[in-house]
This record gives sequence, C-alpha cells and structure tokens, in this order.
Amino acid sequence: MNFNFKHEWIETNIGLMSVLTMLAISVGGLVEIAPLFFIDETIEKVEGVRPYTPLEQRGRDIYQREGCYTCHSQMIRPFRDEKLRYGHYSLAAESQYDHPFQWGSKRTGPDLARVGGKYSNEWHVQHLVAPRSMVPESVMPNYPWLLSTPLDISDITNRMKALRKVGVPYSLSQAEYDANVTKFGETVASQLHIPDAQKNLVEQANFGNYDGDRTGISEMDALVAYLQMLGTMVDFSKYTDDAFVEFR
Amino acid sequence: MAVTTYSGAEQYNFDIVKKFAVMSLVWAVIGMFVGVYIASELAWPFLNFDSPYFSFGRFRPVHTTSVIFGFGGSALFATSYYVVQRTCQTRLISDGMASFTFWGWMAIIVLADISYVLGYTQAREYAEMEWPIDILIEVVWVTYLILFVGTIMRRKQPHIYVANWFYLAFILATALLHTFNNLAMPIDLFSMKSYSLFAGTQDAMTQWWYGHNAVGFFLTAAFLGMMYYFVPKQAGRPIYSYRLSIVHFWALSFMYMWVGAHHLHWTALPDWTSGLAAAFSILLLMPSWGGMINGIMTLSGAWDKLRTDPVMRFMIVALSFYGMSTFEGPMMSLKEVNALSHYTDWTVGHVHSGALGWVAMISFGSLYHMMPKLWDTKIYSNRLVEAHFWLATIGIVLYIVAMWISGITQGLMWRSFDEFGNLQYSFVESVVAMMPFYAMRAIGGMFFLTGTVLMTYNMFMTIRQGKRESAALDAKMAAKMAHA
Amino acid sequence: MEWLMWFSRPENTKPLALIIFFVTFIGIVIYVYGSKKRSVKLESYRDIPFFDDQPGDQDGTKDKQ
Repeated sequence: MNFNFKHEWIETNIGLMSVLTMLAISVGGLVEIAPLFFIDETIEKVEGVRPYTPLEQRGRDIYQREGCYTCHSQMIRPFRDEKLRYGHYSLAAESQYDHPFQWGSKRTGPDLARVGGKYSNEWHVQHLVAPRSMVPESVMPNYPWLLSTPLDISDITNRMKALRKVGVPYSLSQAEYDANVTKFGETVASQLHIPDAQKNLVEQANFGNYDGDRTGISEMDALVAYLQMLGTMVDFSKYTDDAFVEFR
Repeated sequence: MAVTTYSGAEQYNFDIVKKFAVMSLVWAVIGMFVGVYIASELAWPFLNFDSPYFSFGRFRPVHTTSVIFGFGGSALFATSYYVVQRTCQTRLISDGMASFTFWGWMAIIVLADISYVLGYTQAREYAEMEWPIDILIEVVWVTYLILFVGTIMRRKQPHIYVANWFYLAFILATALLHTFNNLAMPIDLFSMKSYSLFAGTQDAMTQWWYGHNAVGFFLTAAFLGMMYYFVPKQAGRPIYSYRLSIVHFWALSFMYMWVGAHHLHWTALPDWTSGLAAAFSILLLMPSWGGMINGIMTLSGAWDKLRTDPVMRFMIVALSFYGMSTFEGPMMSLKEVNALSHYTDWTVGHVHSGALGWVAMISFGSLYHMMPKLWDTKIYSNRLVEAHFWLATIGIVLYIVAMWISGITQGLMWRSFDEFGNLQYSFVESVVAMMPFYAMRAIGGMFFLTGTVLMTYNMFMTIRQGKRESAALDAKMAAKMAHA
Repeated sequence: MEWLMWFSRPENTKPLALIIFFVTFIGIVIYVYGSKKRSVKLESYRDIPFFDDQPGDQDGTKDKQ
C-alpha cells in the first residue's frame, strides 16, 4: 500500500479523473439494471399475454405519436382504490412486448392499462373526436383528424420486422410460425405471421369496424382496436389473489 | 502557480461563448412561451384548436426539449467554454470544433422540435428525439468531450479547478445515458420511426435511469459547475470550502446514478430495485446540501451584497431552491409519500421548483455576470435586473404552490372512500377540482416568462452598448493614430 | 468457481457493497480533512478563478497574487 497518495494526482490528471468519474457513475446503473435482464423473477409467467396484432400495433404507434403517455399512465398500482377504479394491478408480463414501455408518469387523465372493453367502440370514437361531448368537464384535446386520416399500412411488414429484431416473436419462417402455434395457439400465431401482416390488418379492421365507417381503414380504427385490447389479455379469474405477490 | 493577465479576445475564444449565451436566451423565451401555452391548454382546452400540431401531447416535448436542451444546454455550453478557458488560462483547442458544436446543437433542437410537432417521437420522456437526431447528438457530444478535455490538457494552470470536474462529470454521464437509453431499431433506413431495443420492465428501468440522471447530471452537476465558478466571481470571494467541494463531487457523482428507480415505486419493477433507489435518494440529501452550503457560505462576511447586488440575489435564491428541491425529492422517494404523490401534479411542481428555481435562476445569475464581461461593458439596466428577479420569484412561488395544492388534492381524492367502502369521487371530479390551480399555474408561468423577456431585452441593450463603446474606442484610437 | 456464487446473493452483496463504499467514503473524508498541511494546500486552489482577473473588474476586491 502506497501511503503517498495525493488527490492532486487526480486533480492534475484529466485522464485519471475521467476514468474515476466514469467508474463512480457506472456502478449504480449496473447494479440496478443488469440483474433485470438475468433474474428470472423479473417477469411472471402468465397465460394469455401475446404480441400485438398488426392493427393493434399500428394503433399503439398512433398512441405514441399523439403523446398520450404525457397524460395517461398504463400501470396500475397495488392499492385498494386503484383496484376499484381500474382493476387488478399491472403485471410485468403484461408489458413484456411493449417497445417502448408506456407506463407513463402522470395522470392528467385516468389510467388506461385496463380500459379495453369498458366502453363501446362508438363511445371511444365520439370521445376521441370530441371528448367534452361525452364528459363535459374533460380537458382532453379533440382528435378529429384520426377519423379523417386513412391508416398508412404500406410499411406494416417493416415495422413488424423491426420489432422481431428487438425480440418480439413475430414469425417470418414456417418454423417460427410453428413455434408460435405451440406457444400461443393457432388463432394468435396466424396474426403474428409477418408475410400475412397486411391481409390480417385489413381483415381485423373490416371485421371489427372500430370507427363505425366501412369505407376504408382510418387511424381511428387502429387506435380504438388498440385501446379495446388494453388489459384484456390476462384472465385474472384464473388466479388466486396472492398469485403474483412473490414477483413484487 | 500560473497567474496571467487577462487579454480578452486574443487569449480566449469568446466568440463561441457569445453565440451560445445569446441562443440560450432565445431558447429560454421560446421554450417558456410553449410551456405557458401548454399549461394554458390544460386550463382552457379550446387552445388545442383541433390541430394535430398544437395538441398537448405533441407540444409538451417541444417545451421540455426547448427549455432543457435549448436554454439549459446552451447556457451550459456557453459557461463551460468560458469557465474552462479562464480557469485553465488557455484557449479552446479548436475554433472549428467549437463552431461545430454550436451549429450542431442548434440543428438538434430545431429538428427535434419540428419532428415532435409532425408526430415523430420515441415516447420516452426527455429523450423523445428519434434515431437520426440521436446520432447527431452523439456526434456533437463526442466533439464537445474532446474539445473540453483537450482544452484542459493544454492548461497553463497545473491544478484543474473544481467547476471543471462537475462539467466533466456532466459530459461523461450525459454521453453514457444518452447512448444506452436511445438504443433502438429503425424500421427502415429512410424512416424516422424506430422501436426501442428494450421492452416493458427493462425499458422502464433504462428510461428512468436516464430520466432521473438527466436531472442529476445535466440539470444538477453541470449547473453546480456553473455555481462553483460564478458565485465566487460575483461575490468577489473564493468558494467557502475547497475540501467540501471534493467530498461533494465524489459523493454526488457516485450516488446520483442509483436513484432513478424511485420513479417506478409500486409498479411492476421488482421491489428491491425501487427500494434501493429510495435508500440512495435519502442519502443523496447529504452531498446535495453540502453543495448548497458551500455555495451560500461563500457569501459569509459579505451578506450585504444580497441587498446591493441583484445578480447575487439570483444566485442565492437559486441555491435556496436547490436546497428545497433536494429535500423535497428524497421525501417524495419514500414509498409512502410516493403512493400519494406519484402520477399527480406534485411531481410536476417538484420538477419546476428545481428547473425554474435552481437551473433557470443560477443560469440567469451567471449570464448576467458573464455577458457584460464578454462585450466588455456594464449591465444596461440594473433596475430591469431587479424587476426580473421579482417577476421570476413570484412566478415560481405561484407555480409551486398551485401544483402542491392540486397534487395533494388529486392524490387524496383518488384514494378516498365513502362510508360504504366505495370510491368517493369519480376521476373527472378530480379533474374539475384542478381547474383553478391549472389557471394559477399558467399565470405563474406568465410571470416567469415576462421576467425572461425583460432579461433578453436588457441583454440585447447591453450588447448594443458594448458594441457602441468599443466602436467609439476604436474611432478614438484611429484618430490618435492619424494625428500622430 | 463455487465461491463466485456467493456474490450472486443479494443478502451477501448488499452488506459487502455497503462496507466497501462506506470505507471509500470515510477514506476520502479522512484524506481531505485529516492533515493540516494538506488542508492548507487544498484550500489554496480556491483562488484559481481570480488568477486572470480582467483589468477593471468592478468586483475585484480580491488582491491578485
């Protein structure tokens, strides 16, 4: 051990100072973030969670584009009032295919993590076009352009391919498709097949008719399809109340 | 120790400092105007005008980017270039690189603001810029690092002054945070759209590791660098304790990086992570207050300056707000308090007591000190500085008080039950209860903005005065030469 | 390699990390405040911002060294 250490070495040596500063600022992030990628307990195993269909994913893109996350959270906390107001608290598994996550940080409007199925499609369309016609006290902006803008579906395969590269199990090959059939069942697996993406998107939009207008597919179709799916994937009646406690 | 005589423009590159200083005021006015506008949208929603371009969701990142990276960033570039040159008593190693950081940084803010309005966003708070802009940031930032470190290496002063350590930590940390938080897969080489490399919990943790440390290093460490130079200079006395600043530096650099997860209490993030973050948040109070004490005590023995010098007042009020926010923050990171405060306006108020009270006030103080020196003149009007001070202070108080009341009200309304055990209020009832406070917040913002506009005018006149004086001096010299 | 696993358990690494960081911190504090001579030396750096005072600095109450 050398007892002649001088802080001046650092103060007069920019290289040494940079290295030590880098060390000091790296520890915290490493300790807290790295384990999340390795520890099994980070994400629960639950049935029903699946990647988004092409139409839902496009809806999610629009949710992101309009900055909905600046006023709405998608993360229900384990409190009694939140359970009564929004439903079961959110699980990590439920956002495991979310690139990026949209948990949010502010509730100027209510949480949307389980908004799916709470209101009709017609309600959502009317509410998005003119929120104050449904809730007079609301401060939400109007989004009339969603109804009048046709949805751009030309790059849907590119979008899904990019998501596949970052880990979402969309399938390109027969083998990947078969793996999805085993994992999610045939109905879901066919929705996740990239070569059929455009066909699937059009079919879902026409069948669901989310915006109430059968001529063409609008951005409203996609956004409402996404909202109506939020929080509906896990069937909580299948689990006991404390089934997820160990993951907290 | 090397003592040199100041010889201005020949010795130092002040041109780059001037450019950044002026632009930081321009971005302050733009960013704060947009801030007042979006605050008004929440109070009076017709202001969204059914237009995609001005709707709150797309406009909010324009506000945050313009004030944090436009105003704050430019102020940091300006002051760091000024401080590193004057404390190392050497010129920046490259005028070309300096100029590149200026034009690059301006392009980044302009492109980012335009792209948000058009709907391009990564939907990560304070890192909304899409991937092409992120790459540009990376290039500019590495240039900045090389320029800064290179200048320090060429210093004439053997010791590196403490302000430069803080600036260095800020540059390094920002590089680290920016790189890892923006890892994304573009959908096409010719498309702005990309998807984050991480998903769900990991993505949330990465984002708030970034989000809080953007506060910790961009908005705190760097501005502490500013404090360690400009407070002593303005007071005409050296910093209270150099030893304290050493402890302050290492403790702050180490501890800040742990606390990001306190933004994710009670979420699907594992408890141990947010618990650890809360523990470090409490510990962080100590270095934070150490820094505050170091700054304020610099004035000890010269307290009368607070009465006579409005610029000094900006700096001391900034340090007071720094102390207050760094107390409020750890408190809000306690899980019990967070259960009430999270998702409410209290968080927004907390951010602004730091951003307006600390970041903006210390920047104003430093710019008031630096800009007259750059143009070699005196401040055009001290009375306008005085007026600015009061407008800003009243604005902040209105803003914070409004957000405290509305945040706590919201939190309490959401969790209150009636006698039958049902929820007492519907969500929209809590929205209605917010209305007066949203209006009050917008008015507070207007006060603050007005002060900033006054300052911009004052500095504009100061620059004109400086130019006139130097022109007169040149003319006199020329006349003398002709005579001889 | 068995011993490496010891580090993977939070109940071991938490106190270990605490000890390491706390000792480092105390070390820095003792270093900085421990010796009178060193204190004088360190405090002399406070004056660096005043070494290149502009002629006519109105706040130049500090004498140039």
